[in-house]
Amino acid sequence: MRQPAMAWLRNRYALTLGSLAALAIFWNIYVALNNDGIIAGRAVTADQQPVGGATVILSERSLLVAVPKGQATTNEKGEFRFTGHALHRLYLEAHKEGVGRMPPKEFRLYFKGQNLSIEKPLVLAESR
Amino acid sequence: MRQYPRWPIHLILLVVSALMLIPFVWVLKTSLSGENIFSYPPSLLPRDPHLFFYVDVWYTIPFFRYLVNSAVVSAIVVAANIVFNSMAGYALTRNFPAKRAMILLFLSCMMIPFQVTIIPAYLITKKMALLNSYLGMALPVCSTIICIFVFKASFEAIPKSLIDAARIDGLPEWRIVLRILLPLSKSAIATNVILAFIWSWNNFLWPLVIIRDQEMQTLPLGLSRFLTVVEDTTGALYAFCIMVLLPGLILFLLAQKEFIAGLTTGAAKG
Repeated sequence: MRQPAMAWLRNRYALTLGSLAALAIFWNIYVALNNDGIIAGRAVTADQQPVGGATVILSERSLLVAVPKGQATTNEKGEFRFTGHALHRLYLEAHKEGVGRMPPKEFRLYFKGQNLSIEKPLVLAESR
Repeated sequence: MRQYPRWPIHLILLVVSALMLIPFVWVLKTSLSGENIFSYPPSLLPRDPHLFFYVDVWYTIPFFRYLVNSAVVSAIVVAANIVFNSMAGYALTRNFPAKRAMILLFLSCMMIPFQVTIIPAYLITKKMALLNSYLGMALPVCSTIICIFVFKASFEAIPKSLIDAARIDGLPEWRIVLRILLPLSKSAIATNVILAFIWSWNNFLWPLVIIRDQEMQTLPLGLSRFLTVVEDTTGALYAFCIMVLLPGLILFLLAQKEFIAGLTTGAAKG
């Protein structure tokens, strides 16, 4: 008896390896569409007021030291934006004279250059 | 005949299986949470699981390069094992002078550990100009005695009349192996594929001896390099272990039916 066409597709080897290949293809497409290296967020005071003119520093940690990778200044709405980063583990810190500072905070990404929209704003507070 | 209830056996098997799975679950849990083995209170499920340790592994060392190197070496080893072991296995099913002595020689060679032969193996590989190459890494495991005997047992289980008929039809010996014996020995092939793949995939010592180029390193060598690069190793190290284990695990789970059949072929013969 003749087997129906494409019957080999129901083989467990074809199914498993095919699923893995499909997963890899979809993941790579997703990465290609989301790796512009954009980091966007806001800086606010402890009472949630936007902080304009604050300096936000993007850095990477090596074994011993923090290596700065970029710097941005917030606009009047407290928004900042970095483009073209190529990191998967990064640190953001912010400060403004007279308002306060936020110590380095770690952000981890699933691939290098992943676009990151920070939901929780960076909170600048007077250090004690 | 009196029938005994089966549930006690199943219960014992379940408990033993669960116990045997604990180390693997522990590795998986640590790779997802980075929790140290001494963390208190101990838990079976990971707290705040994430995949970032896997990302760290991927980017800290050239993981993909090592993966490709391991895959290429394993592919060479698997192909060579099927070709050479089936030929040797077939030869051992035929009658020839000193056959018993040859089998005894094979069996006695199994008792010599690889560490003993590593210097001659290195010198031979060097003379063949295969140091620092894929073929050089594959060479010592291109044929393994256990797998030769797996093929021998499988070929002996095939009716001799089939081989005789093929010979009467004028088939040369190599085509008898290729067209008649191998298609009927799928379980032996699966056993060869799994064993050769796992031995080659996990091989550490031989690549360490003959590889000089970082670009040619395989995953087990990458693991030792990774330990020298990463400072906070717990989660990332376990993630690396899972990433190294996964291909072998998938292969074994896919071919386990044929693998077990291959190991037991001829076991109850005669």
